[in-house]
Amino acid sequence: MSKIPKVQTKDQKSKTRRRSEDKFAYRTVVISTVLSLIFFAVSLLFNIGIISIFADINLIFDILDILIKVIAILLFFLFMMISIGNYKEMTGKPLGWKELLLLFILSIGQTLLNYIVFISTFIGLLLILVYLYLVQEI
Amino acid sequence: MKKISYSILSGIILINLLLVSSLFIIKSYGAAEEIDAKFGEAPIIDGVIDDTADEWKKAFKTQLILTDLPIDLWVMQNNLKLFISVQIDLEVEAHNSTEFIGLLISNSSSENQEDFIDAKIVQFSDMQTDEFVYLDYVINNSLFLNDSIYHGEGAGKLNGKVSVYEFSIPINQPLTDGYEEDALLEYGESYSINITFGKTPLYPEGIIKSEIVLINIFKPSEEEQLLIDVILLVLTIIVFSIVGILSGYYIYKLFKLKEKMERLRS
Repeated sequence: MSKIPKVQTKDQKSKTRRRSEDKFAYRTVVISTVLSLIFFAVSLLFNIGIISIFADINLIFDILDILIKVIAILLFFLFMMISIGNYKEMTGKPLGWKELLLLFILSIGQTLLNYIVFISTFIGLLLILVYLYLVQEI
Repeated sequence: MKKISYSILSGIILINLLLVSSLFIIKSYGAAEEIDAKFGEAPIIDGVIDDTADEWKKAFKTQLILTDLPIDLWVMQNNLKLFISVQIDLEVEAHNSTEFIGLLISNSSSENQEDFIDAKIVQFSDMQTDEFVYLDYVINNSLFLNDSIYHGEGAGKLNGKVSVYEFSIPINQPLTDGYEEDALLEYGESYSINITFGKTPLYPEGIIKSEIVLINIFKPSEEEQLLIDVILLVLTIIVFSIVGILSGYYIYKLFKLKEKMERLRS
């Protein structure tokens, strides 16, 4: 008599824990997506030149303009990767190299209008990938 | 839920399109219109626009108002010359038989009166018989003095009710052979050109209408660069559009996942 209710309680507890973990993971996916889309919008505005408030004033503003463009793309890449990674984990699949490559191409594709932004972003993306690879290995 | 996802997806695509469409709004510049000379094959300077030979096909074409006179202005260049055509569409009786079009050329992008040092004029002596002269002046303190050697070409012709003026001006000439009396046009520079209209062969007193434009002259290699820039811009817009569309699809998948999670819970 006493054993059955105990198992049920344990099951209920683990179910509740899993639900709350799923909820937390889903919230992480949503927050990462929202952040990546915000940085995507910033990248769109600056990289296509819809906003060019810092360009062609002086060297400092030029550097600021380039930094905004590069950081926006790198953060877009980072948050989108976190989001897709968590999403994949929730659906029970790992984040594959195909998704990563597509994300890499779509991130670098945003920089085509400025070669300095292109080179800086390329290096930044490689550094992020190397860092994440090393973190996984450890 | 599906409806919401579709609305979000449509919303993202719409925002994307609106942002991209704003790229095609033409930039405007204060007093003078800025014109990028387009590369094209040299036309014959005879006052006739030969459509069968695709003359002026690649020219930058715009409409201007000289004070209150509307004109069509076409600008083109090749590696050696800048070509400008002015067309005035008026009733036949409104044309004056001694009308002229003059290009007063500044030595830079400056619009100060003293910087307009060169004048190329096509002056009709009798428009009905298509008699005209091409004049090349150096401007010194508002005095128009004949150049010792004329450079460039000019021609005019009345075609129906449209008077057509054509000019060609050399680019990148050395400061010899009388070119010191001209505004020297160089690759990669911008020049203010005052397009003037008058009815009597007196300069500058005969000028009754005018408008200044800024013309950018490009190096031959810059033509290819411009094309590459356009291709890169199109590619970038395509990349941003793809990211926008994929993000919309991803958000839709997130909603589906939430639905699935809720279904599993219940």
